[in-house]
Amino acid sequence: MRRLHVYLLFAAVVLALVYADRLNAYWMHVAIIAMYYGILASSWSLLAGYVGLFSLGHTAFASIGGYTSALLVKWLGISIPLGMAAGIVVCCALGAGIGWVCLRMSGPYLAIFTLGFSEIVRITLSTEDDVTAGMAGLRTETLFHSATRLPYFYVAFALLAVSLLLMGLLVRSRWGLFLRAIREDERAAGASGVAVARFRILAFAIASGFAGLAGGFYAHYIGIMTPSVGDLDEMAKLVVMTVIGGMERLPTAVGGAFVVEAVLELLREYGQWRLPIFGIVLLLTMRFARNGLLTPVWLGFVRLGEPRVERRGTVRDLPQKDSAA
Amino acid sequence: MSHGAELVRGVGLVKRFGGIIANDAVDFAVAEGDLIGLIGPNGSGKTTLINVLTGHLDPDGGGVLVRGQKMSGRPPHIYAGMGVARTFQLTQLWSRMTVLENMLVPGLTRPHSTWPEVTRRARRYLELLNLSPVEQLQAKNLSGGQQKLLELGRCLMLEPAVLFLDEPFAGVHPRLREEIITAIRELHQGGRTFVVVDHDMESIFRLSRRLVVMARGRKIADGEPAVVRMDQTVLAAYAGL
Repeated sequence: MRRLHVYLLFAAVVLALVYADRLNAYWMHVAIIAMYYGILASSWSLLAGYVGLFSLGHTAFASIGGYTSALLVKWLGISIPLGMAAGIVVCCALGAGIGWVCLRMSGPYLAIFTLGFSEIVRITLSTEDDVTAGMAGLRTETLFHSATRLPYFYVAFALLAVSLLLMGLLVRSRWGLFLRAIREDERAAGASGVAVARFRILAFAIASGFAGLAGGFYAHYIGIMTPSVGDLDEMAKLVVMTVIGGMERLPTAVGGAFVVEAVLELLREYGQWRLPIFGIVLLLTMRFARNGLLTPVWLGFVRLGEPRVERRGTVRDLPQKDSAA
Repeated sequence: MSHGAELVRGVGLVKRFGGIIANDAVDFAVAEGDLIGLIGPNGSGKTTLINVLTGHLDPDGGGVLVRGQKMSGRPPHIYAGMGVARTFQLTQLWSRMTVLENMLVPGLTRPHSTWPEVTRRARRYLELLNLSPVEQLQAKNLSGGQQKLLELGRCLMLEPAVLFLDEPFAGVHPRLREEIITAIRELHQGGRTFVVVDHDMESIFRLSRRLVVMARGRKIADGEPAVVRMDQTVLAAYAGL
């Protein structure tokens, strides 16, 4: 059956939504945080996996989005969704600015530059305590005044689904093809008519916007914003999630966020030792499964229902009508 | 030799890398219908000249005109949009994208292009270049010669007025070299303009209608191949005199 994976995925989503209330408060919180990381991991995958821009400033944008929304709600009394929208706009603008400044950078230079940006953001948020409350944390308005976390679960789910849908449409469009061409070879992309600078800036702006969205949600879920939301530990965790899942596909990046978040919780009884365990998993992934541990699983899943001969991969090497579009 | 309107002109082009002058006041014009062979010893400045004429390097002196428009400071995609396509000395494909995707990208950059129309056109060129059976393979899995053909195909997807081919025969099996020569000839007869840089003299002499020779960053000869090959300056340059 063609598209069997789509039906299965849809069924799983429906089941998750219907039975979400059976999760206890603790695991519901873990699921919500996993979805927050899911938005961050997929948008970082868009930037690092699809375009090859290895930015280490992604969680800084989540932080900026969160603080922007929280402060605007606090100062101007605007609604939380409007504050979150403002956070997205600010992150898009700043992301475009960073993208423009980094136009000629790639690889380690880009990583170091964005790391510097991230540290500037973190230190600024830490030291400007008149505005941000510094390390004590900024109290924020919460989205719901509910005794259960269920409404947050649904909102997080909706935000993740919409983010994935929008990013999915982007990567399947001609722009997605151009972004991958830039990742593979910028010179060749330019020679083929791709406006490399424009698309690099656009990728930074879009990915930063989604990070801002995630940060805005986080701010109004947790009820407090601290500079640690955008610190290097958080960025490292995001990289681990995306790389372990598979950074060149949005679903595997999200899967990585879910798996890592869940396993980190399951390993909590081992205290700080859970982090070296993840270090080892990351090393093994880089050595033996560079495309991520979940990529083969995902590829197997999307091929469910395809004719057996096609699943062996031999027929796919032959010309197929309309397969590219 | 030139039978059409001028497409690309480099005027007094100078390009320096540190103390080395790669292009020293080079004038170079390409007109519609040309099939130019650009030759010269290693380090004579051929690739630099192509890089400057296609927007991949900014000249330190002089300027480039495409269809009469000044192009200084413009990025390569603007050149591509104006019909100036190029291949690279070391083949630069998008190796983890399929052959068909490699063809689609330039086609889809064209204004008003649609996926079905671009896909149809890509398949037509893949047929012409004998690459249809491998259209779903990743480009990195092609042989060296097939990669050269794919790079040529990718240029054609821009529907360019002029193609600069940088060493299209380098490291290519003789049978595939013949395929490339045949493809260039057919495309030239179909109205395309070519500038071909290569060290394979036999192929260049067979192909070109006009021959330009460079040495030590300067253009030392420009004319009909039969005349240029007897030029004493050219012979001296190749003999290292």
